Amino acid sequence: MDSLIPFTTSGALVDCVDRKMLVILRDGRKLQGVLRSYDQFANLVLEDTVERIYHGNAFAEFPRGLFLIRGENVVLLGEIDLDKEDEIPLRHVDYATLEPYHQNAIETKKRREEHKAQVLFEEKGFCKEGGEGDGY
Amino acid sequence: MQCKYLPDVLCFLPSPRRDAVVALSHIVTMLPLSLLNAAQNKPMLVELKNGETFNGHLINCDNFMNITLKEVYQTNPDGDRFWKLKECYIRGSTIKYIRIPENLLDVVKDEQNRAREAGRSNSRGGHISGRGGRGAPVRGRGRGAPMRGGRGRGRGM
Repeated sequence: MDSLIPFTTSGALVDCVDRKMLVILRDGRKLQGVLRSYDQFANLVLEDTVERIYHGNAFAEFPRGLFLIRGENVVLLGEIDLDKEDEIPLRHVDYATLEPYHQNAIETKKRREEHKAQVLFEEKGFCKEGGEGDGY
Repeated sequence: MQCKYLPDVLCFLPSPRRDAVVALSHIVTMLPLSLLNAAQNKPMLVELKNGETFNGHLINCDNFMNITLKEVYQTNPDGDRFWKLKECYIRGSTIKYIRIPENLLDVVKDEQNRAREAGRSNSRGGHISGRGGRGAPVRGRGRGAPMRGGRGRGRGM
């Protein structure tokens, strides 16, 4: 089908419909769900979505249901290989158990980044990072 | 990529092309914004890019994803402060994502199927009624976006 459809958002995503997809958002959230629909802005409709968090060698899932994601917030959209998805060398643990560690990691990272930005600005002559401050 | 209502005319297309058309027509019937349109009066959770969330019932939306909600519970990004609002307007460009009731997708599909069946029985024999057939208006067109006046100039105030 590659040669029949030009490389546009629609052309690239048409094969992904009704497949289980991984979506990473700009805020770092990782969602897995079945892609049901999209449009020219890559707004996405994800069904049976679960949010996954990772920490160390563990991961946890939390069911989130039906999502309509505004395309600009998407960093990555990838198909999940159903044959291989269970082969990951990570422990599946309870969401409530892992969540505090995950939040903690986010806080730590945020503080580190703030500190780094401060050093760069005050000592190294860099300008302040504009806007949202993420790398995207 | 299965579609129960494969218009017969598509059978004559080469298979890969046919798959593409079927998939596209499948999507077209419930584009993200059509789904949002169909979610009017349904409860939903809207998260903004800054992390604030708004829980409420959808009153209306337009093609920019601007929305109005009623009976809203607003939270700050940390989720530790709450506000209750009677009604609020959210500019589409500030939205990160919207969470919709799980069953809505089925409801919309059912509605479309019924509309399509109605369209079939209305049309005379042999006529292929895909989308755009008589008597089976695709949902989400015409009904939405009443907020835009006249010719849709000026997206601002």
